[in-house]
Order: sequence, then structure tokens, then C-alpha cells
Amino acid sequence: MSVKAQLLASRLASALTVALWALFVVIPLAIMVMAAIKSPAEMAVNPFSWPQAFQWQTFQKAWEEAALARGIRNSLLLTSISLLFLVLFGASAAYPIARRTRWAPVFYFFLAGIMVPFQLAMLPLYRLMKLFSLINTYQGVIFIYVAVSLPMVIFLYSGFIKGINSELEDAALVDGAGPFRMFWTIIFPLLKPVTSTVIIMNIMSLWNDFFIALLFLPKKEMRTLQLSIFSFKGQYNSKLNLIMAAVILSILPMVIVFLALQKQFVQGIAGGAVKG
Amino acid sequence: MGLRNATWTNNTRLRTLITDALFLLPAFVVFAVFFAYPVISSFYFSLTKWDGINPELKFIGLANFQKLMGDRHFWTALRNTFRYAILVTVIQNVLGLILALAVTSKVYRGFRVLFLVPPLLSSIAIGSIWSYMYAPNGAVNSLLTLAGLEGLAQDWLGNPRLALYSLVVANIWKWTGMAMIIYLAGIQAIPKTIHEAASIDGVDVWQRFRHVTFPLIAPAFTINVVLSMIGSLKVFDIIYIMTQGGPGRATESITTYIFSRAFEANKFGYGTAIAVVMFAIILALSLIQLHFLTRREVRA
Repeated sequence: MSVKAQLLASRLASALTVALWALFVVIPLAIMVMAAIKSPAEMAVNPFSWPQAFQWQTFQKAWEEAALARGIRNSLLLTSISLLFLVLFGASAAYPIARRTRWAPVFYFFLAGIMVPFQLAMLPLYRLMKLFSLINTYQGVIFIYVAVSLPMVIFLYSGFIKGINSELEDAALVDGAGPFRMFWTIIFPLLKPVTSTVIIMNIMSLWNDFFIALLFLPKKEMRTLQLSIFSFKGQYNSKLNLIMAAVILSILPMVIVFLALQKQFVQGIAGGAVKG
Repeated sequence: MGLRNATWTNNTRLRTLITDALFLLPAFVVFAVFFAYPVISSFYFSLTKWDGINPELKFIGLANFQKLMGDRHFWTALRNTFRYAILVTVIQNVLGLILALAVTSKVYRGFRVLFLVPPLLSSIAIGSIWSYMYAPNGAVNSLLTLAGLEGLAQDWLGNPRLALYSLVVANIWKWTGMAMIIYLAGIQAIPKTIHEAASIDGVDVWQRFRHVTFPLIAPAFTINVVLSMIGSLKVFDIIYIMTQGGPGRATESITTYIFSRAFEANKFGYGTAIAVVMFAIILALSLIQLHFLTRREVRA
């Protein structure tokens, strides 16, 4: 086969592959939407038929009965505060590590955290949280979120800071700026590309976290979005339309943020992974 | 003068040391208290009898590990976890790479976005969608019936011989888009001139992939293999949501087993011992993989 024919063949193979995977991705998503819009009786007859009547009120009912407003508020609070601390603590800790070799042992201490699965910390952490009365508190879970994600964040920030020339900060220090003001006003703004990688990498794992919230936030009023859906699913096991409506409402915020920031997401995922 | 100078530099050095320490302090304290200390103390807790309620611990030496050796359910969980991790790692990387090659052309930009939607979804969303897909009267069986293949209809999560593989498919549905985007970034980082040189030389498509593209995306390959393997060895969410380790113990994983030992059987010491073994396995496998894969990177 000539190279030209091969190229044509590979182009066709690409189109076929993309079409098949798109179908595989779309079918479960379409079924999720169908299951929410149609009545359970209609769904049982044929999941793929076009709905006879769009049951939009299902969404309102799911929103109220799964207490999604509360779940979203709680998750928003946890995610945003954890992200804020991750960025502040991570960037500032990375600075001396990147600039002075004497902190290398501290760097390795953090770095070791990347290799250790959370499962190893989990049970002693449970004991510690009980001891400090931090179970069912937001601050407790925020501490854990920050501690678990910090190693990667410090790794990304310190790698980037090393690539920044230190002349600028030396000049600022000579001009009499204090080291903290110098860092936050001169260095930190230069770190924007990493900061966006850090936020995107962690926003997904924090917003979607199930395990840590399951362990440390069992109380009903404290439930995150994910746990609200989980307990709703347990309660309304037979009401497929309500569950799917609640699931759709729960994934919308993330999907909207993603569609609005596609480019940053793709760069954040790829950048975080390649550097990691 | 010389003396004054010396104290001045000593002072600045001390001042830098103190400011550096202040920069590091918040991260250090949070990480040390809420991660490093629990991790390090877990090695001690694994040597104790501890019920999770009573703060008193009883030191029992290696008894937990001895018990582990004879624990049938532990070995089942280990076997399931390995089977799951190997299947996910292989299939996800093969598919992710094929997809990345397929969507390299800009025509497919919209599809790249679509393929990244499943990775955004939470475990509970994936669990709800696929629980319905797999239900006895769910979507997969309806599809089979529509295609005239009623004979293949199954209780996909209720059949102990299929349940684990059903979970593998759900996992692959979720994460392959992520693997794809990492491979794609690797492919796009290859300088155009290399491809042009290859096409002028009349290199065929397979040779070009085998000798140009694949060696050059070695770093993306390393990171994808290591990430998918570690991630699937730790699997918990979708199992806990979809099957709770059942039917029987057909989908019990190491993490679900730790969870049930601790929070259902109140055997926290024993659970910690399992976690220590899990850590040793993950560490060993990661180091082996990194060793072989990065050696391949250098050679390429």
C-alpha cells in the first residue's frame, strides 16, 4: 500500500474511532437525561423512545427533596476555602524551597506525600480528628483536603519559581520592600499559569470528593453535594427519574465551569500531569 | 568595620532564615499534623489491637500481619484489586492513546471537549448512571433486546462472575478521556519538522508511530500508566456506591475491605495493618514502573 493510501486509511480509521467513542460516551449521558425527563413507567417500556411528555417538575422535586441547595452551598464553601489555602500555603512554602537549597530536606518531606496513598493515613487520622473533636466540622475537612493536596501543589509551584530570575526580587528587597510584601506583590502575580493549573487540578478532586466527606462529615446538615446525592439515592432507590434529575443538577455546575474555561482545563490537566 | 560587617551579614542571614521559616510554616504545620503524622503513626497502630472507639491501644506485635496471611477475604480483595488495576491500566492506556492519535486533527476539537465530560463527573454521578445501565431492566439489557440479543441480557452487577468487569467498563468510560488529553499534549509537543522529515523520507504510517511518535511521547506514557495504576489500586468510590463489594465478595477491593474492617467490624488496628501492606505494594509497583519507564524515556 502506498503511503498516500495509508494516510487515507488512517484518516478513515480516525473518523471511525472518534465516532464510536463518541457514541459510547454519549449513550449513557443521553440515557441519564431521558431517565430524568420521562416518567419511570415510560422509561421501563423503552429507555430510548422520545419522551411523550417532558416532566420538568421532576427537577424541581429532586432539587427540594435531595436538599441540593444546601449540598451545593456546603460544597462551594469547602471547595473554595480549601483552594484558597492551597494556593496561599502552597505558593509561599514553595518560595524558600525554590530559592535556597538548604530547604531540600523539607521539600523531600512534602514530596514523599505524593507517593503515599491516603488510605494509609485514614484510620490514624480518624482517631486524631475524634481527639480534636473535628469530625463533622468544616475546618477539620478543610485541613485534610489541604494536607492531602499540598505536596503536588508545592511541587508545581517550586518548579515554576525556579524558572523565574531572582533579580527582580533582589531589586525590590534592596528598595526596602519587606520579604512578604515583595513575595505577594511581585512574585505571586508571575505565578498565574501555575496557580490556574493548581486550581483546575484540585477543583475537580475537591468538588467531586466522596471518600473524605463520607468519613468525616456524616451529619445531615453538613453534607456535601456528593453525599446529599448519595443518601438521596439510598432513600429513593426506586425513583429513577428523581435520582437522575438530582445527578444532572449536581453535575451542571462543574460542566458549566468546564465549558467556560475549556482551554485552561485542557492546559491544567495536561500541564499538571506532564510536570508531575 | 570588619566586625560590624560580619554581624550585619549574620543578622541578614538569620533574618532570611526566619522569614523563610515563616513562609514554610503554615504548609508545614497542616501537612505534618493532618498527613505526615497519621501516616507515620499508622505503622505503630498496625501493631496494636484498637477498636476505634476506646482510646486505649493494646500492643500485639505482628499479630495483625500474621492474621492477615491466613485471611481468605484479604486475599480475595487483593486478587480483585490486581485484576481490576491491570485491566484498567492496560485498556485505558491503549484506548487513550488510540483516541489521542485519532483526535490529533483540529477537525475533532469539539469531540475532545465531549470526551473530557466523563472525567468531570463525580463518582456518585457515574455510579448512578451505570447502576441504571447495568440493572436487570436497565439500559444495557434493553439495548441488547432491541438488537435481538435477548439471550445475552444479564444482571451485570448481580452476577459474581461479571460484576468486577462491569465496574472496569464504568471506570474506563470515566477516565479514558483524561488519558487521551495527556497523550494528546505529548503528541502536540512533537515538533512539526520531525513529522515532515519522516513523511519526506517516505516512512509509512505504522513505522512513523512505532519509531517517531511513540518514543517521543514516552513521558506521557509513563505518567498515564503510573497514574491509572495507582488510581485503580486505590479504588473505593464506585465499588462502594455500586456494589458494596458484592455480590458475595466478588468486587471487594483492598480499600473497601479496610473500610469495612474498620467501620463495620471495629477492627481499626487490623484495618491499618492492611493499609500498610497496600502502601508497600503500591510503593514497590510505582518504583518498578518508574524504573523501567523512565529508562525507556532516556533511551528514546
